[in-house]
Amino acid sequence: MDFTVQELEQGIAVVRGAGRLNMVSAGQLRELVAAAVAGGNSRIVVDLSAVDFIDSSGLGALVNGLKIARQAGGDLRISAPTDQVKLVLQLTNMERVLFPYPTVDSAYAND
Amino acid sequence: MTENGVYTITIATPTDDIEKVHEMLETVWAKSPSVSSTDRLSFETALIELSSNVIRHADDGSGIRCVLTVGVSDARIEARLTDTGLASTVELVGRTMPEELAESGRGIALIKALVDELEYVRSGSSNHWRISRSRTA
Repeated sequence: MDFTVQELEQGIAVVRGAGRLNMVSAGQLRELVAAAVAGGNSRIVVDLSAVDFIDSSGLGALVNGLKIARQAGGDLRISAPTDQVKLVLQLTNMERVLFPYPTVDSAYAND
Repeated sequence: MTENGVYTITIATPTDDIEKVHEMLETVWAKSPSVSSTDRLSFETALIELSSNVIRHADDGSGIRCVLTVGVSDARIEARLTDTGLASTVELVGRTMPEELAESGRGIALIKALVDELEYVRSGSSNHWRISRSRTA
C-alpha cells in the first residue's frame, strides 16, 4: 500500500492511500497521521477514494489517528470511501464517528 | 461449464502475509464471475479478518503455518483454515461491537455480521476454523 501526505492551508493535511488498508499497512497509516499531527497539522483528511479494502486493523488505525488529532485540538475525517469501506463502516457502527465526506475539499469546508 | 471449485493455499509466516489471501481470492473471483459483488466483498472481508486473527494470535513466536481452502458452490462460499498454532482463546458467542473509540476488538463481531456460520474447533494440536456465507441471488 502506498501513502502520500499533502499539506493544505490552515493546518490541514491530506493522507492518501492506494490499495488495501489491512494489518500490513495499518501501522504505516498510524505513523503518518501521528507525524502529520506532530508536525503541526492536526486537521487530517484521509482520502479513501483509492482504498479498495479495509479491515478492523485499518479501522483501528483510523480511530488511533482520530484520537491523536483530537488530543492536539484537531480532528480526523475521511473522504470518498469505496463500497467495501462503506460496508465495513456500516457494519461496525462507525459511520457517526468516521462520517464519510464525499470529497477531500468538503471535509473541513464548513468549519 | 461450472464455476464451482475448491482452491487451497498454504500460508507460512513471516514469509507470507495477509496479501497472499487477497491474491488467492482474486483467482477465485476470476474463476467464479457469477458471485455477486456483495457476496465477494462480504466474504473477502470476513476471510481477511479471520486469517489476520490467526496470523496475529496463533503465533507462538516461530511463525504460523496454515492451510486455507476456499470452496465456491451454487449455494455458498466457504473457507476452512487449519493451523498448528496456539489454541484460540477468543470468545465467539455474544460478541458485540466495542465502543466507537476502541482501536481493536471488532474483528469477530464483523465476521459474524458478514457470514452465516463461524465455527472454531481445537483438535489435538490444530485449530480448525470454518466460515460459510450463503450466496445471494
